[in-house]
This record gives sequence, structure tokens and C-alpha cells, in this order.
Amino acid sequence: MYRIGIDLGSSFTKGVLVDENNKIIDYHLTRTGFDFNKAAQKIIDKFSVDHEIQYPVFTCGYGREELKIPFVSNSEIIALAKAVFNHYNKKCSIIDIGGQDTKYVTVGETGQVDKFKMNRKCAAGTGSFIEEIAFRLDISAEEFTSFAKQATEETKINSYCTVFAVSEIVGMIKKGSTMPNIILGIYNSVIDRSVELSPVEDFLVITGGIPDNHPLIVDLFKKRFPKCDSPAKSQFLAAYGCVLLN
Amino acid sequence: MSSEIKEVAKLQSVNALRKTMDDYFSRLRIATETGNKKIAWCTSVGPAELLYSMGFEVYFPENHGAMLGASKLADKYIPTAVAHGYSPDICSYLTADIGAFLQNETPLQKSGFKSVPKPDILVYNTNQCHEVGDWFMYYAKHFKVPILGVNTPLWINELTPSIINGIANQFKDLVPELEKVATQKFDLEKFRETVRLSHEGCVLWRKVLETAKHKPSPINFFDSAIHMGPIVIMRGTQYAVDYYKILLAELENRIKNNISSIPSEKLRLYWDGMPLWYKLSSMSKLFAGMDTCVVASTYCNSWVFDDLDPKDPFESSAIAYCKLFIVRSDDAKQNVLEKLMIDFSIDGIIYHDAKTCGRNSNNRFGLQNRLNDKNKIPFLEINGDLCDSRCYSEEQSLIAIETFIKQLSSRK
Repeated sequence: MYRIGIDLGSSFTKGVLVDENNKIIDYHLTRTGFDFNKAAQKIIDKFSVDHEIQYPVFTCGYGREELKIPFVSNSEIIALAKAVFNHYNKKCSIIDIGGQDTKYVTVGETGQVDKFKMNRKCAAGTGSFIEEIAFRLDISAEEFTSFAKQATEETKINSYCTVFAVSEIVGMIKKGSTMPNIILGIYNSVIDRSVELSPVEDFLVITGGIPDNHPLIVDLFKKRFPKCDSPAKSQFLAAYGCVLLN
Repeated sequence: MSSEIKEVAKLQSVNALRKTMDDYFSRLRIATETGNKKIAWCTSVGPAELLYSMGFEVYFPENHGAMLGASKLADKYIPTAVAHGYSPDICSYLTADIGAFLQNETPLQKSGFKSVPKPDILVYNTNQCHEVGDWFMYYAKHFKVPILGVNTPLWINELTPSIINGIANQFKDLVPELEKVATQKFDLEKFRETVRLSHEGCVLWRKVLETAKHKPSPINFFDSAIHMGPIVIMRGTQYAVDYYKILLAELENRIKNNISSIPSEKLRLYWDGMPLWYKLSSMSKLFAGMDTCVVASTYCNSWVFDDLDPKDPFESSAIAYCKLFIVRSDDAKQNVLEKLMIDFSIDGIIYHDAKTCGRNSNNRFGLQNRLNDKNKIPFLEINGDLCDSRCYSEEQSLIAIETFIKQLSSRK
């Protein structure tokens, strides 16, 4: 029997299939859309093809309480902390950058959540910020990274507001800023917003869809905070943590 | 974490509260319709005692703002005020109230009012903020009536004689101006009696709030935010005194019979900042479902003016209204909070950072971290607003609150 952890996020639903030894056997990612049940079912259907599934499934995220199938819901922050502590087994701080939320979590020596903070009610510094800019500039995530690698200097993005940031970028293009330099500025803007949540303490772990899809952000974090890491497939950690918590 | 739906034990006093409030509005309505009494508008921590002692019926626009928030009408009116030049970043009591006025609508119309009661005079005190002056000025200009103000210095650390004397003198200076409008002359003995009643009401209100020191608490913050009505708008009257005797007796009876406000109290929280008026009921159920009682708050405690003394009504009013939490320095606020955390056996603190009320959001200048350094009580900051529900992200806040409760539970 295999257990499933599902993180029903605002943009994406992340699922992990976990065996009896708490080892992740498979991952699946799907857009959440407007129907949490449909998104969760896609995860379950994918995993059910070759494995016998144990119910209830373990959930977290915005849609954690919405499923019609048997489930046990968890706090995504506690679940994320559990999975990160399971991975590193030491005191650390986590910056998680997701679709709508950026979170700062301090994990204590025994894996407990000591404190946490979420972004203010604003998309600046979250995945939506990058998604919106990418859409408006018609650039893919892959292009974002390759552009940023060509940057010669950073073009600073000042605006807090996602929409105004796009206007600001258009103004910069008019003044001659290059796209690579602008994109480096966008990445650093995301980092600036996230480190405003709390002074960074201890070993820093970067997680979420944004570092997974924009790995250069992790490199930029490491430049600022040498004691920093980001596990592979880190956007699945909260889903995995749900299973570990139960 | 699945939070179960658990009902909060309903206070029987709510019927007496309803009657007390209805009677207050009837008196205001009769004064409006018949002109039997002059009407003064007053800020919620303004010199209500002086006004009541001089025979005014007193109307409180902030109470109206809270009413618009609680009835979920504020969002309808705020954009109207914004369109008339009032920023969405300023007090949403103000924008909701002025917006409703511009649309000629008020929840008071259900109680027979044609509009909000027309003022004969407006009196404010800036001890809570300076925006009340701008708010009242709008109506002073509209109705072409006099406006008087007590200008209290903000960020009072030590309450010095010069501050007290200055405010006491400002209170005294109001008298001749009020006499020009009032139907009766100032009478020191009547003022003393009003201050005595105000003191008595405040002491009763403090005792009501202090019943929450008991474990389990017989009352929670979301109830207190409703039952505080009389101490805000009838401070200095027998009506408030009579009501709080009823409420206190019920709460003491609950303690005697071990009746708790929520079905199962495992955690005790402190709420700092304004209520989210439009979420009062759902918040109450949310915390009850997580076996958590919000037992005390800065907001409800702000109407405990037990320094009022009929022997020296002007000076004691000055002391009472300058001791108000909101007007104090962060150091003075921290001292108050430290004591409350101990007195009410607090497990965690929620700071509500209200977008349009910086002065009631005590997490903006590092106080939350300094207090945490001292008492190690975990805290959570949530972003929202008193009236403007557009500033509140419910899903994000629910995740944060649930996680916070889990965090606190794991420490128990």
C-alpha cells in the first residue's frame, strides 16, 4: 500500500507517492485550476495506475479541506518544515516561494516550527509576480533563466506592484536596458521581497515552485547567503511532509 | 488541521444589550425629530462625560463605522468616499461613514432614522488619531455647525503634569463654547456625577473583561467587541452602569458553574489591534473550532478609564484620556502588554495589522519583536482591516492562523 501527499496550491497541485519506508516513489504536478477535486484526482489517477493506494490521502494548501475523497488535512507550513527537517536534520530557516505566497519559516533543533511569517497581501515577491511579467513580456521560464545568465549588470526593479513593475520595465527598455539585465533585476526583486520577511538566521533552505523552475534564483540566494541550499524537487516537500506528519 | 464547527456559548445578556442599544438610538431619534435635546457628535474616546453632563444626546460616528463594518456594508460605501477625494489608505471607519452619508444611507434607517442624526456641534479628541479631526471637519462644513477639538500629544511615554494640565485646560476651554450651543449651562456637580457614573461603568467593564482571567474563560474577544457598545457610547450614563451589572452577573455565574465561552478551551490568545468587523462571527467560530479562546485584547481594554474621579473631574478626565493605550509610546504600551499576558495566562498573540489604521496596529515599529524577546510568547501577524474587507486575504490568513494554533499546541 502506498500513501499519497497532495499540496493543493493556488497555481499548481503537487503530489507525491510514498512507500512504507517513507521513500518517495513518484512525483506528479498539475495545474490546480478552479476544481480542487479534479486536480487531486489527476494526481491519484496517475499514481493508481501501477500502485495500490492507501486512503485517506494527506493534504495541505488552499484546497486542503475541499476534497470529496477521504483525506487528512495539514498546515502546509508545518508539513514543509517536517519535510525539510527530515532532509537536513538540523536547525534551519526556510524561504518558500510559491504561486501566491512567500513564507519564511524557522525550524528548531527538534524540527518544530519556531516562527513563521507570510508575505503581506500582495503578489510582489511571489510566483505570480514572475508569471505575470513573463506573460506580459512573452518570455518562458527557460528563457528567463538563459536571459539572466547573460546579464552584465542588474537593472533594479523598484515597484512593489506587479502591474506597475511591468510599466516600469517597459520604461527601462525604452531607456536602453537589456532584457538579461532586467530579468536579473526581477530575480533580485523576488529575493529582496522574501528576505524582508525576517532577518535570515542559520542555514537557509530555499523551496517552492519558483526556485525549482528558476534555478538561477537559488544561485543568487547563495551569493547573498553562503550557508544556503535548495533540495531537488523542492516544490513537492510540503506534500511529502503531509505524509511524514501522519 | 480540520477545525470542527463548535458553537460559542451565547450570552443571555445579549437581550439586555439589544434593549440598551435600541433605547439609546430611540433617544437620539427623538432628539432628532423633536429637537427636545441638542445633539453632539463625539469621538469614541472623546469627552463624552462633559457632553452628557450638559444635556446633549451624544452620537459617535465611529460606532456607526463599526456598524457599517459589522453589517458588511462598508465595502459598498468606501468607494464613494474615495471617489470624493478620500484616500482608500485612510481610516475605513471614516471612508465608510462619509461614503454612506454621500449615498444617504445608514443602517439606522432600519431604526426609523431618515439619516444619521444632524449634529448641533462636533467635539473630537485626537488622543486616538488625527484623522478624527478631518472626519468631523467634513460634517462641520456640511452642516455648518461648530467643531471643537482637544488636541492631545501622541506618543506619551511619561504622563507629566504639563501634559495633564494642558489637556485639563483644553477640556475647561470647551465649556464656554459648548454653553453657546447647549440648552443648559455647565454645572460642576452634574459633571461630577457624570464622571462618577463613567467611572462606575468603566470599573464594571474592567471587571467584565477580567472574568476572562478565569480558566476556562466565560467570555471571548468576539463577544466583548459586541458587548463593549454601551461603554463606548453611553459612558457617563446610568444606562451603561445598569447594563454592565447584568453582564457581569451572568459572567460571574458562568464562572461559578464552570461554563466556558467556547466548548473546550485548550489555548488562550491575546488579540492586538482592531477587530475585523466583517469577520467577527466567522472568526469566533474558527477559534472555537480549534479549542482556542481569544481571552483578551488591546481594543476592548481601551475603554477602561478607571482614573476618572468625580472629586477632580477635569484633571482626572485628562489623566484617563491620556493614559489611553493608543496614545502611549511603544515602551509604555509594552509595559501594559507584558502585564496583560501574565494576568490572562496568554499562550500566543495575534497582531492584526489593519491597513487603514496604523495607530491601532502595534506591530509596525518592532514592538512585537521586543515583547517576544522579553516574554517569549509566540506571535502571529495577520494583514487585514477594520472595515475594508478588500484588504483581508481570508485563505492566506486561515492557513497562518491554523499553523499558529498547531505551533502553540505543540508547545503545550
